[in-house]
Amino acid sequence: MIMKRIRYYLAFFALAGIMTAGIGRAWAYFTTYAEAQGSIAIELGDETEIEERFSGWVKHVTVTSEEGSEPVYIRAKAFGGGRYSLTYSGEGWSEGTDGYYYYDGMVPGGGKTTELSVSIGNIPEEELKDNLTFNVIVIYESTPVMYNEDGTPYADWNAVLDTGSTSPDSGQKEGE
Amino acid sequence: MAGKIRRIITSPAGTLGMFALAVALLMFSSVGGARAALTYYSETYTSRVQMYDIGVTLLENEKEISWRNYDSRRDNGSWLEEKGELLADMVPEGEKFKIGAWYPEVLKVRNSGTINQYVRVSVYRYWLDQDGNKMQTLTPDLIDLEFNTDNGWMVDEESSTEERTILYYSRVLSTGETSPSFADRLKIDQSVALKVTQTTEKTAAGSRITTTYDYDGARFCLEATVDAVQEHNAEDAIWSAWGRRVTVHNGTLSL
Repeated sequence: MIMKRIRYYLAFFALAGIMTAGIGRAWAYFTTYAEAQGSIAIELGDETEIEERFSGWVKHVTVTSEEGSEPVYIRAKAFGGGRYSLTYSGEGWSEGTDGYYYYDGMVPGGGKTTELSVSIGNIPEEELKDNLTFNVIVIYESTPVMYNEDGTPYADWNAVLDTGSTSPDSGQKEGE
Repeated sequence: MAGKIRRIITSPAGTLGMFALAVALLMFSSVGGARAALTYYSETYTSRVQMYDIGVTLLENEKEISWRNYDSRRDNGSWLEEKGELLADMVPEGEKFKIGAWYPEVLKVRNSGTINQYVRVSVYRYWLDQDGNKMQTLTPDLIDLEFNTDNGWMVDEESSTEERTILYYSRVLSTGETSPSFADRLKIDQSVALKVTQTTEKTAAGSRITTTYDYDGARFCLEATVDAVQEHNAEDAIWSAWGRRVTVHNGTLSL
């Protein structure tokens, strides 16, 4: 009985040895490898806020970007319902062809624009004495700084956010 | 006659004999394999064996990043290894990564061993979240690594996926030789900055729309593995080591 068991073991090991004889051949080739990896974080998103001060029929406007925000471009426009004349002034602001005034540089996180002044003229002072409402609104928009392939920054005011839906919203953020 | 053979086979002596034969076969088969590798190098093998060291190095923008070289003279044979980091010098100090802009990412392979070799590279592109987990919902296509395939490198389309690109260098890489670049530059597609998720919340004044950038905080990851195999008997060596059937004709490898 013991001899029979020993024979079984011997037969098993003999078979296993023959089957694994070819494995050594795969190790005969010279091979090697080298590997590396790396990653970079993407930061997106911005938060801006408009500050307004009104004195002497002039609106003084400054737009501030929150700390940690990505750089943005800013543009602004005032609406007076056509009754008043509006005159813009401010260092670093330029008039566009579409009625907006564009801040020349990008505004980094934690930065702010220089002051844009909007002087309101043609004021109907007689009407104001009768407590009629006087209303001039300044709106502003920001858009994230984009980069060309050579790294130069630019603003894409026509960029459309991709929400994955069929009716994307405008890519700019508005405030007033 | 048959009964006699059967008795011999089933006897303890017969079994022992077969076991001895199996052991002998096993030993000789190993010797045969070794001979198959050794005889190729001619009779001078014994005096030259220490020179046959394989090694390969990955270069990024001409800088050696990772390597694994065998040195038979050191400690009776040992591997010299270094696993470096890609993209570490991509963004200059004090600057932020610019989405949409090309950055130099020149990737090459150098034969840092003492035998000629064939090489291939496997490049992986994917996104990680802030905890280092892979983000399956963000597409690797937006990580635009520009591959070169007009200088001896060729893409193995069969084995490549959206995340993984495998390239083979069709020529032999000689000792000390550096391959042409298999990639030259990298950029993140601008559409990354426009992909958002918006949620609408009802408020007393109307509704509030919150916009969240899908890729904000995500990390784009680049991973490269270079494989090298001996030039001699390359077809079998590649099949054995990489599991890929290739053809080598007059020193040129084709898929």
